[in-house]
Amino acid sequence: MNKTIQTNIRTNSDKLVSVSVMGQIASPGFAGLPAVPYQLDSRGQPFLLPTFGGIVYNVSIGDSAYGWLADCIHPGVSISLKDENGNRGLNLFACVGNVAVVMSGDAKGVRGVVTGKSGRFSEHVIIHFAKADREKMAIGDKIVIRSMGVGMDLSDHPTVMLKSCSPELLNGLEVNSNSDGKLNVPVVGVVPPHLIGAGAGLTSEGGSVHIQTVDKAALAEAGLDQLRLGDVVALADTDSSWNHGYLRGAIGIGVIGQGDSPRSGYGPGVTLLMTSMSGGINPVVTPGVNVKEVFGLQD
Amino acid sequence: MGDKVTLCYAGVKKVVKIAFFDKGKNIMNLATNEAQLVAMAVMGNISQPSLRYPGYTLDMNGIGRVWPGMSGVVYNARVGDPAFGWAGDHVEPGTSIANPDSAAEFALHYLSCIGNRAIVTSGLAQGAEGIVTGEHARMLVDFPPDANELLCVGDSVQIIAYGRGLALDEFPQIELKKVSPQLLHGIPMEIIDTPEGKKLRIPVTMALPPRIMGSGAELNSEYVDQDLMSGDRALMAELGIDQMRLGDLVVIPDADHHFGRGYRKGAVTIGLCIHGDSVMTGHGPGILTIITTAEPCIEWVIDPNANIANYLNIREIA
Repeated sequence: MNKTIQTNIRTNSDKLVSVSVMGQIASPGFAGLPAVPYQLDSRGQPFLLPTFGGIVYNVSIGDSAYGWLADCIHPGVSISLKDENGNRGLNLFACVGNVAVVMSGDAKGVRGVVTGKSGRFSEHVIIHFAKADREKMAIGDKIVIRSMGVGMDLSDHPTVMLKSCSPELLNGLEVNSNSDGKLNVPVVGVVPPHLIGAGAGLTSEGGSVHIQTVDKAALAEAGLDQLRLGDVVALADTDSSWNHGYLRGAIGIGVIGQGDSPRSGYGPGVTLLMTSMSGGINPVVTPGVNVKEVFGLQD
Repeated sequence: MGDKVTLCYAGVKKVVKIAFFDKGKNIMNLATNEAQLVAMAVMGNISQPSLRYPGYTLDMNGIGRVWPGMSGVVYNARVGDPAFGWAGDHVEPGTSIANPDSAAEFALHYLSCIGNRAIVTSGLAQGAEGIVTGEHARMLVDFPPDANELLCVGDSVQIIAYGRGLALDEFPQIELKKVSPQLLHGIPMEIIDTPEGKKLRIPVTMALPPRIMGSGAELNSEYVDQDLMSGDRALMAELGIDQMRLGDLVVIPDADHHFGRGYRKGAVTIGLCIHGDSVMTGHGPGILTIITTAEPCIEWVIDPNANIANYLNIREIA
């Protein structure tokens, strides 16, 4: 399904182990009694909007990350496992680009592609399925991901760590080594460190780190106000070797996994794919770098 | 109600001041609504340090280390001591207390204010008085060193929670969070006239650039703190942030902490250093939001003495 790209990148992908991780389509959730359903936006106004989880019928990878009446909406289908440790296995081993197969219900046998992850308060894996397939699915359906990618590294770029990145994605991103020995990675934009919000200090092996969008002028100034779900972006001065954190010269690469939020400190979520604490990544701003095109995903 | 309550434990009566009404060092006599504030008790128990087997914390180079610092009674780190340099992680100065009941625990977090009085209500130190100095995953209380020696994990500590709702008559656009009247009157603030109108000038030891504000951005800003990210050690030294002390007041320009903690140009947040540095990426000394505004109505002045050890008369520091 994806095009074969010729690059000069050597990996250990022939040694990677592919293992099943299972989740079930997650229901959206709200806090219990006294059942105050509101979140507060950055000005303190209460709002009640669709949020993470469930089967999202009309928002897909490739659509705008902005403008939806929603809070960090996950495009497509979100899955999790009720068992906490099992869910951690799902969240850690699933890689962007891995194939997901529906194993129960009317959509049995249908295939999708992992496009992102969410963090501390939901810990879902986000999967793209064609819209027609979503109509056959039910909350609770079992989905197995044929995970592969954890352990992958780049033979010629020892300072670059890969996270949640499948061999197919690495291949499709058209990365290459430049004459300075750095890894060129095409991205649609670069997030400046003052706009990196929720997710800082949390693990980079799963979950998400969010672009702050309360200050619209700052967002536009950074050229980030037209992002699409699935866009590949760079995180400037950010070391994500273990957790996400500020470090001058460090660079991260990630994919926009979920949509904007009215909440302070939040905005489009980024699933981290690569990081180099010593600046071994050279982001190359290139319009249209999006996993929808990389994987040829159908609407 | 007066400014004192009479408490009785083990048959011994004790008169406890709930606030300093002498206006402390606050020379401008700020008009507030404090006559309307309600004082009420919340409680917690002295916590036991806990680690998840095998106890490693990864530093920024991925080296696993086992560090003390959080929970329990920390005998040798106190408000006024350095925030950096400990062989520990997220060091919580003094005594950390928590309530095992989830709802009561949130009441302890949401109602207690910095500067509130705390009284030990069980065990060998019963009757000892302390002062609330911070809120991390547990409430942090400073007791005198001789009281620390009598404290036992599990002992009950009651806080006279006082300060929720506190507001400044002349600055409705400024929000106070967890500021007790004791603390408000202890900080030498000034009202100044500027071409843009009245502003409140607040002493701080240093300014933190918003790009280094990290872990805690995912939480609501009524709950605990946000770590500054200290991983860029050279930057910490360049900006003098590595000189921070526990209890320091600091300013974060362009940070709006009204509802969550985020970047907004022109906003100003005043924070309090409540715990020590961390080796973890994205972590560092904990900065508790105490004053925030989205409007440009706060100025700051750098003062190396801007520390609650001074402002709450906890101890003399140079």
